[in-house]
Formats: sequence, structure tokens, C-alpha cells
Amino acid sequence: MKHLIRNTALATSMLVSIGAAHAEWPTDRPIEMIVAFAPGGGTDVMHRTLAPYIEKELGAKITILNRPGASGEIAYTAMTQAKPDGYTLSSLNTPGFLTMQMDRKVRFDPKKVCLVARIVEDPGSFIVQAKSQFNSLKDLVAYAKANPGKVSVGTTGLGTDEHLALLQLEKSAGIDLTPVTFNGANEARTALLGGHIMAMGINVGEFVGSEKSAFKALGQFADQRAVIAPDLPTAKEQGFDVIMSSERGIAMNCDVPEAIRTKYSDAVKKAVDNPEFQEKAKQQSLPLSYRSSEEWNKELPARAERLGEVWKLVKEQK
Amino acid sequence: MEFLDLLMLGFGEALTPTNLGFCLLGALLGTLIGVLPGIGPTATIAVLLPITFYLPPLAGIIMLAGIYYGAQYGGSTTAILVNLPGEASSVVTAIDGYRMAQKGKAGSALAVAALGSFFAGTVATFGVAIAGPMLSSFALSFGPAEYVSLMIFGLLAATVLARGPVLKAIGMILFGLLLGMVGIDASSGEERLTFNAIELFDGIDFVVIAIGVFGFTEIIENLENVEGRGVLVSKLSRLWPTREDFRQAWPAVLRGTGVGTFLGILPGGGATLSSFCAYSLEKKVSRTPEEFGQGAVAGVAGPEAANNAGAQSSFIPLLTLGIPSNNMMAMMLSAFIIHGITPGPTVLQTQPQIFWGLVASMWIGNLMLVVINLPMIGIWVKLLTVPYRLLYPAILLFCCVGVYSINNRIFDVVLAAGFGFLGYLFRKAKCEPGPLLLGFVLGPLLETNLRRAMVLSDGSPSVFFERPISLVLLVATAAMFILMVLPSFRKTREVAFREEEA
Repeated sequence: MKHLIRNTALATSMLVSIGAAHAEWPTDRPIEMIVAFAPGGGTDVMHRTLAPYIEKELGAKITILNRPGASGEIAYTAMTQAKPDGYTLSSLNTPGFLTMQMDRKVRFDPKKVCLVARIVEDPGSFIVQAKSQFNSLKDLVAYAKANPGKVSVGTTGLGTDEHLALLQLEKSAGIDLTPVTFNGANEARTALLGGHIMAMGINVGEFVGSEKSAFKALGQFADQRAVIAPDLPTAKEQGFDVIMSSERGIAMNCDVPEAIRTKYSDAVKKAVDNPEFQEKAKQQSLPLSYRSSEEWNKELPARAERLGEVWKLVKEQK
Repeated sequence: MEFLDLLMLGFGEALTPTNLGFCLLGALLGTLIGVLPGIGPTATIAVLLPITFYLPPLAGIIMLAGIYYGAQYGGSTTAILVNLPGEASSVVTAIDGYRMAQKGKAGSALAVAALGSFFAGTVATFGVAIAGPMLSSFALSFGPAEYVSLMIFGLLAATVLARGPVLKAIGMILFGLLLGMVGIDASSGEERLTFNAIELFDGIDFVVIAIGVFGFTEIIENLENVEGRGVLVSKLSRLWPTREDFRQAWPAVLRGTGVGTFLGILPGGGATLSSFCAYSLEKKVSRTPEEFGQGAVAGVAGPEAANNAGAQSSFIPLLTLGIPSNNMMAMMLSAFIIHGITPGPTVLQTQPQIFWGLVASMWIGNLMLVVINLPMIGIWVKLLTVPYRLLYPAILLFCCVGVYSINNRIFDVVLAAGFGFLGYLFRKAKCEPGPLLLGFVLGPLLETNLRRAMVLSDGSPSVFFERPISLVLLVATAAMFILMVLPSFRKTREVAFREEEA
């Protein structure tokens, strides 16, 4: 009998403590951060680098779990299906998150995905060999006008960032380029270096970190020049309406209480501002561009609308 | 003599206590994960990548490199002992190595693999040091057209992997090609053979198929025997290779080293092809080709040397041009970049201690691996005497953990089980899985390169004959085909004859 009483008391006190722990998010258990890409990739390395600084701000433990596949759809699905208690987050990358919803029905409910914080905005770019005759997008356009279809541009597939930028440039300049598909930027880079293609699409952040003596960039596809490439003119400055950049950030289920989302968003801001992290971001050429949950959610519809316009060009190609 | 000075600089860097320590740590970790099926070096390196933030640049990179070539060593151990290739490169080792283990010669298979790998690693390391910068420009001359010809050559060579009739081998290659097509096609954005399963959008992972058709199938087959006898068919014989084994292994190691060093330089699939090509070469030059698939020493020595040489020389494009030739090297590239080092010609000039330190450490690491692995052979072989009823649940468990850890999903484990069942049916039909895996690996490479070549040449197939390297490869393919048809024609008749008598 004594045993029973003691056990009941123990169980009750445990229940109470669990209840109490729930109240104080986020220290109850580790926060699971689902990264939608394979370990070692740009998105993965960025989140792994940032996580310790967010941990410091929140006083919580963050574990990273890679759930790669289907451009992030698997991760978004897992995140929206998890209990909306603020202990499951996912990485979120545009334009992939937006374009996957354009063609087909996705396996998750997009209305359940709430943006929490943007960390990076990495503009697209076209690069050529360092010894190429092209020094700007204008040069490339002039050559393509004289030799329709002769300019081959490496991309990583139909409907990817680079391909969407290529379609915009074709339309804006009235030229005809030949897209060549590669499995990833590294394969395309090899082919470019070997002279098998004339140019390739790549994000500025990926380019800045690579060998400078081999390649040069022709322009960046953002509204404003990225912090890591202040000397590279935008396409707009060169007279072409091409805007294409990749954003990387964090998302949560919309059913998670707003207070928790805001708290996380603020912690990310402080982590991004940490000079130690800034130093590491510089080494990795991360074009940091923080947006709070509120700001990013406000900007996204315009981005989606523009992408919708560009996506029509993809449809025409099919 | 400048080269020697630089090499001395490299050894000076690599022999500091810190760097030696991390080299050993990497080699040990690599051996460990290589032995555990399915847990590949790519995933391990990814997890350790953030830790290298806190290490000096060279130490971090030396450790990651150690994991990479340590895993090559460890991977062949499971391939030989329990017929479980964890990577494309050890598929071939499993063919004859496992047969040797069944015959009680596991010790000599492991020793030949370790010594062959060490020799090849040494030669290739010096190859990287001497000719690296020169060889890299050759790698660049490989465009889409050249790759297409190389892949055709490789696929034809794959038919040699099978013991049975050529037709069955070709059937398996074609099935492999089909499996390679699963997923979203990048050029058109269309889903192919995904059956609307989101998990198949990116295709099937190599490890899923390899563990299925090799690992699971092997277990099913072993359990089928009433006694559940496990791996050993005959009694354990001596632990070390005989003089005769050495005599057969040496020339194979030499040829394998050549093939591996050369093919490893080529970005995208080169290193994978090397062990397959070495195996075909050995079978072709052998005076007793019928021993291949029955436990031929040369069938272990050649491919093992080739895959280790290929692993070393795949550093060449990364270090000299800053271009990673496979996923592993891409991971190494991020390790460099995290430390603010951009591999490429500039690094060779401005930070020679990084390049040469790594080259020297690779050789030291290979030496360490031999020292670690040779005494372990006795222990590994003892493992085979463990009763199979205790051994197989452990193998099964590691297989499942390995498969699950690729993408952290149960779907892959179920898929691997399905492949295990399929592999069992193949066994019963006397179809071998080696050619299937090669078809699976090379198929997508062939397809994407064929498409690229066609887009770039405006649809004209003459590009394959106009480019000299491509032409040479095609001629070699044709020659191999003729060689294959002639004697095999004779041999199939002989076999048919024998079967009639029996």
C-alpha cells in the first residue's frame, strides 16, 4: 500500500513537471530542425553553422535532421504533419517552395507553412570562363543576336533557378539561348572550364567562393547588388529585366502559437547579428539578408506572382 | 628537384603530431564506417564537417580525407566476408572475394585486398604529386561526347562481370538501366516510373539496391539451407596468402593501379568505373578466365587496387582545378571553403603547404591503414566462425540502420527488402546482380551525357566520331565486342556440349 501511494505521488509529480515543462517552450526537449537537402550541401552547412548561435539565444538544444528529396517536398510534408508544438521546424528555400506548387498538387497544405525567418538571399548570375570574350550580359546578348542558338548555357534542369533566369533573359533581350542540363553546379562548372558550354547559371554565393582565376560573372539577377558582390552590376542596370534569387530560411507549422514563432524569429535575428556568426558567414560567402517572420510573409506574395509569370514561359517550352 | 622540395614540405606538414593524430583518427573512423554496411563516408563527413570549423584547416581536411580512403579499405572487408558491398566500387570485390571467403580463404582475400590497395594508393599518391596539374587538363577535355563513348565501353565491359550466359548479363544491365531512370527527369521535369510516390522523385539510392540484392539476398539464401551454414562452405585454411596467390596478384595489382589512377581523374563516374574496368581487364588477360567468379585472386587484387588508386586520383581535379569529381569530393570542397581556402591553381602557388601536406598525409594514411588492417584480419576471419544464427541478425540490423540513415526514412528500408526478394528470384534464375548495379550507376550518366551531346551538336551524331578521344573509345569498344563474341561463341558451344553430356 505504501508502495502504491509513493508511486502515485511520483507519477503525479512527474505529470505536473511535464505539464510545467510544456509551458516553457523551448527547453522541454530538443528542437528538431528538418533540413530539406542532403548533408554537406549549401543549405545544410548554413543551418548547421547557424544552429549553435540560435541555441545560445533560446537556451535550447537544436538537432538537425536531413530529410532530402523532391526539392524539399518531403521535408515540408514531414514538418506540417508533426505536432504543432514548436519543436519541429524545417528549412525553406525559394523559388523551389513556390514553383513546386505551380504545376501539380503538392503533398502538404501550403497554408500550413508559415515563414519564420529569412537568413539568406542569394541572387542568380551567369558566369563564363575568365578568358571569354564576354564581359557583361550585353556582350553575351549581342553575340546571341548575331548567332541564334549558338550560346549554350548550363543549368541544373527545367524550371530551376538558372533555367528561369535564362527564360527571362531570352524574353527580355529577344534572343535564343540553348539550355544544357547538368546534375548540379559542379558538373556544369567542369564542362564550362573544359569549354564544352559557353556560360552557366549559378548563384552569386556559390560563385564568390570558387576559383577566381578561372571564371568571371556577367551580372547578377537581383533588385540590388548582393553584399558579397558589390562590384557586379545587376541585370536591370544592364537593361535586362531578369530577377531571380534563391532565399533560404526557416518555416514552422502555422498552428504553432504565434508567440513561439515570433520568439524564434527574434532569436534567429540575434544569432545572425552575432559577430562570430558573421565571420563564419563571410568565410562561406553567405549573402546574409535577414527578414523577420512578418516582413518575409509580406514580401512572398509578390515574389510568387512574378514567378507565376515566368513559369508561363516554362509552359511554353514544354 | 623542385618537386622533391615540395614533397619534403608536405611531409614536414603532415608529420606534425596534430596532423598525424587527425590522420589516424580519420583512417580509423573511415575503416569503421566502411565495415558497417550502408553507413557511407559521405554521410559521416557531412556530420563531421561542422566540427572541422574548430580545427586548423589542414588537420580538418586530412581527417576527412582519411575517412574517405579508410572507408574504401573497410568497405572491401564486408564485401569479402559477408557479400555486402557498401559502395559501387566494392561490388566487384564481392564477386570473387566472397567466393574466396566461402572456400575458407577469407584471410588471404583480405590480405591481398589490403596490400594491393596500399600499393595502388602509394603509386596514385605520387601520381597526384607529380602529374596532378598536368593530368587535370586532360580531364577537362572530356566533354559530353567523350563520356557517352566511355559509358558505352563501360557497359559492354560489364557483361564480363557475370559467369553465366552473355544474354542474361545483358538482360541484367538493361534492367539496371531501367532502375536508373526512376525519378524526375531534369531535362523535361517529367516524373518517370515513380508510381506517384514522392520518395521516388529523386530516384533510388545505390545503397538501397546494393544492400537488397547482395546483403538481404545472401541472408535469405544462407537461411534456406537446413543447417543454416552461413558463409563458410569449407574449413578455414591458412590466414595468409600463399606464394602462388602473390604470384597471381602482383600483375593484377599493377594493371589495376594503372586503370584506377587514370579513370579516377575523370570527373563524374570515372572512379566508379575503375574497379569494373579492372575486373574485365583481368578476366580478359587471364589464362584461366573460368576461375573468375569462383574465387580468383586476381579478381580481388585488380579491382581493389583500381578502386583505391581511383580514390586517390579523384583528388586531382579538386586540388588543381577546384572541381569536385563526385559527392565525396564536393563535401571536401565545402570543407576547404569553410576554412576560406578555395582549391585551384592559386592555392598551389600561394598555399603549397595545404596541397603537399594533404598529398603526403594521404600516403601516411594509407600506410597506417595497412598497419591497422593486417593484424585485424585474424579477428575479421574469426567472425566467420560465429554461428550464423547469431551473425545474421546483426548483419540484418546494420543493413537496416545503414539504409534508414541515407534519407532518414523507413520507405527505403522496405524498398531494400523488396530488392532483397527480387535478388533472391534472380539467384534462382541464375542471373547475377553485378551487371545490374553497373547498369544502374552508368545508365543515368550515359543518358544525361547523350542528351547534352545531342543538344550541343544540334542533334548530329557525327560528334562521336569527330572528336578524337571519343573515336578511340568507340574503336576500343568495337574491338572488345569482337573479342568477346569470338571466344565466347566457342565457349558457349563447349558449355552446351558439357550440359548435353550431363
